[in-house]
Amino acid sequence: MKTNLKLLAMLVLITAIVLTAAGCSSNGNSTTNKKDDNNVANSNEGKTAENPPATDSNKKMTITAMKFVYGNIPPSDGKGLEMINEKFNIEYKPTLVVQSDYVQKLSAVVASGNIPDIISMEAPDSNFYKWAKQGAFLPLNDFISQYETFKNVPENVLKTFTVDGNIYALPHYFPLTYTSTPMIRKDWLDNLGLQMPTNYEELKQVAIAFTTNDPDKNGQNDTYGIAMSQNINPSMAMGAYWDPGAWYNKDAQGNLIPGIISDARKDVIAWFADLYKAGAITKDFALMNWANTNKEFYSGKAGIFIATPRGMSSEYMSSLIEANPNVQLEMIPPFVAPDGSQGFSSSSGYYKQVMLSAKLKDDPEKVKRILELLDYGRNFYAADQMTQDNKDFDWINGLYGVGYTIEDGVVKKESEEKGLTPAAYFDAIPWAPNDAANGYSKQYKVPLLSELTAKAEKMHAETKHYLNPGSQVFSETRAAKSTDLDKKLFDDQTKMIVGEKPISDWDQMVYEWKNMGGAKIITEINDAVKAASIQGEWK
Amino acid sequence: MIKYSSTRDKLFDWTNIVLLVLTALIMLIPFLYVFAISFSTYKEFLQSNFILIPKTWTVEAYQFIFESRAFVRSIGVTVYITVVGTLVNLAMTASLAYALSRDIWAKRLLLFLVLFTMLFSAGMIPTYMVVRETGLLNSIWALILPSAISSFYLIVMRHFFLGIPKEITEAAIIDGANDLQIASRIILPLSKPALAAFSLFYAVIHWNNYFSGILYLNTPEKWPIQVLLRQIVTQNEASASLADAQVLLENPPPAETVQMAAILLATVPILILYPFLQKHFAKGVMLGSVKG
Repeated sequence: MKTNLKLLAMLVLITAIVLTAAGCSSNGNSTTNKKDDNNVANSNEGKTAENPPATDSNKKMTITAMKFVYGNIPPSDGKGLEMINEKFNIEYKPTLVVQSDYVQKLSAVVASGNIPDIISMEAPDSNFYKWAKQGAFLPLNDFISQYETFKNVPENVLKTFTVDGNIYALPHYFPLTYTSTPMIRKDWLDNLGLQMPTNYEELKQVAIAFTTNDPDKNGQNDTYGIAMSQNINPSMAMGAYWDPGAWYNKDAQGNLIPGIISDARKDVIAWFADLYKAGAITKDFALMNWANTNKEFYSGKAGIFIATPRGMSSEYMSSLIEANPNVQLEMIPPFVAPDGSQGFSSSSGYYKQVMLSAKLKDDPEKVKRILELLDYGRNFYAADQMTQDNKDFDWINGLYGVGYTIEDGVVKKESEEKGLTPAAYFDAIPWAPNDAANGYSKQYKVPLLSELTAKAEKMHAETKHYLNPGSQVFSETRAAKSTDLDKKLFDDQTKMIVGEKPISDWDQMVYEWKNMGGAKIITEINDAVKAASIQGEWK
Repeated sequence: MIKYSSTRDKLFDWTNIVLLVLTALIMLIPFLYVFAISFSTYKEFLQSNFILIPKTWTVEAYQFIFESRAFVRSIGVTVYITVVGTLVNLAMTASLAYALSRDIWAKRLLLFLVLFTMLFSAGMIPTYMVVRETGLLNSIWALILPSAISSFYLIVMRHFFLGIPKEITEAAIIDGANDLQIASRIILPLSKPALAAFSLFYAVIHWNNYFSGILYLNTPEKWPIQVLLRQIVTQNEASASLADAQVLLENPPPAETVQMAAILLATVPILILYPFLQKHFAKGVMLGSVKG
């Protein structure tokens, strides 16, 4: 009886909880809504006190946004957000989603017809074109000329985002010529009395020497040549001619083909296979993720990896210096290709894009506010303008001493997790007039890193870059299928490197790739290139 | 173990023992590895291939995690969702299972509806729209209410209830008990082991759930731990394009030591539940298999 009573009590408790739960949930909806309204009201209160009563044109507007973020998620009530709201007289409500699951969430949100005012995407993928055709986005053609920073986007880049004559997205800046290219341990070269390689044969000898001749002179056989990860990354393309991503080489009919199926790439794969046999590339590269591959190089095990002026990790570099105090690094200059060309391929020149919801078309005032915000975030500041005296720079980074400090001329930003800077809440990516203007190398605190990136900047400034036609046009088949097709090629080529497949299977692989949709991609790209009269230029 | 004297039996036993120990090690070593890395210094991790016992023990990674408000907060959210969610699950499942184990009106139709959702689910977008239209979006209840009843567990629980001899309930009816009293004084007390097992099943589902969190919750303050963990760990994955490599360079994932510490912190609490509930758990697996 006693236990029964206890149980009855338990049951009552459970029922009570369920009832309150149900009660809460129905309240929950209204409270969440109300809460939002309260927030508006609260944040308004502060301001209406100082501001004159709102007229129509300076009425506070709620602007919703959805964007993806990487590591540090700022809080939903950060100071940076308040600053945005105050400056632009809006109630800005960004939904921040972790990058890994962003596409799925975005699909659900768009499909449910609940599109936020501002939408970010990583690339113009098939979803983008599908939604654009369905009329989910607002055409931006009329606005491009109205804002200074929007005019910086090159015409041919905008073409990528154009569907039926309407421009549906604004891309963000990405260095055009500063691609990731191979770097090498200069101290190892010197220890072994070797010269900087100038062709693939020499590079092979160097990589093998790094593996067998104890380049770090520690008496142990613990080093090797090239640090590599899954998907044959880095591609070790020493110029556009060999670049798997560049549409440089032509087939027998004179059509451009992607580098990854070209004969030049076939030679590189055979070259990799030789190195693999000699143990001169990461042994289990097919299973290595990018972080592990970085570890291979920055722990001092491998002697060749990639570097680029922008966004190198000081933490990695510091750990390399700590383990190998004498480390010296050098960029490997591009090789002269069999056709006489010399130079790396350029990138597409953009990364990430922003769209506006088509629902805004009847609300020009709101569109104006949004575009002002976006325009503001795209303002470029040269290195000498990055000071607290520059009001705009100071504001977007959350004010000196709060959101950032400057030490020895290097801007040090607070973690985005604290939400102190407006830049943490929207894609504030400046559009630089050219790559060199960014002065990336001056922004590193680790001297070796500054040195290395300065060398990379110099190399990119002194060599020509191939403007990849493939990244200037759109192909529907490529947008839909490239992920699967690339995977097939990477899988086959990985097998060729490790010796599971003979190199002689190359033609078979290309044939299969073409049948799976590759042929259609080639046709579409070539037609588009001709239609837009794009020449594969060197610049 | 029964003692046999024949060498063949001994051999068999020893092979078994060796094999099982090996299998156990294979299962344990990854855990040990995660454990060891979470307590080693980043430098040691970078410079050695495989760590099972760190040379220098450090709690830096844990300090880093506990200094971040987000981690501690989201553990709290997850505990809340797990506890409340499991209670809701139990109450909802037990009450419907009980009703369906009795002779009620339209029982067959109800059972069919329950079975139907087991075989055909609505998919992500329709479910999202239902959650939105019911106003649950961006509320923690969006992680609890849509999955308040698992049809499979409901059916298993109903079978368990059916297994309780009818005579007991009949006796109770004669004593003047109504349905609620029968449920609370007879059926539920007799089903304690079953309820314990189901609460573990449900709790594990709630604890490990991340996708609903990503889909339905818009403010980071409401994220459960698994959303955070996924973000900490998956960021590491390399992808094909160079632009992605560049992006990874610019947004480096947290140090592996931190990742491992996060994994451990997010796994251990639910792991600890197992030994306590294991005896019920083992019984629970057999539930409904044989009717009494």
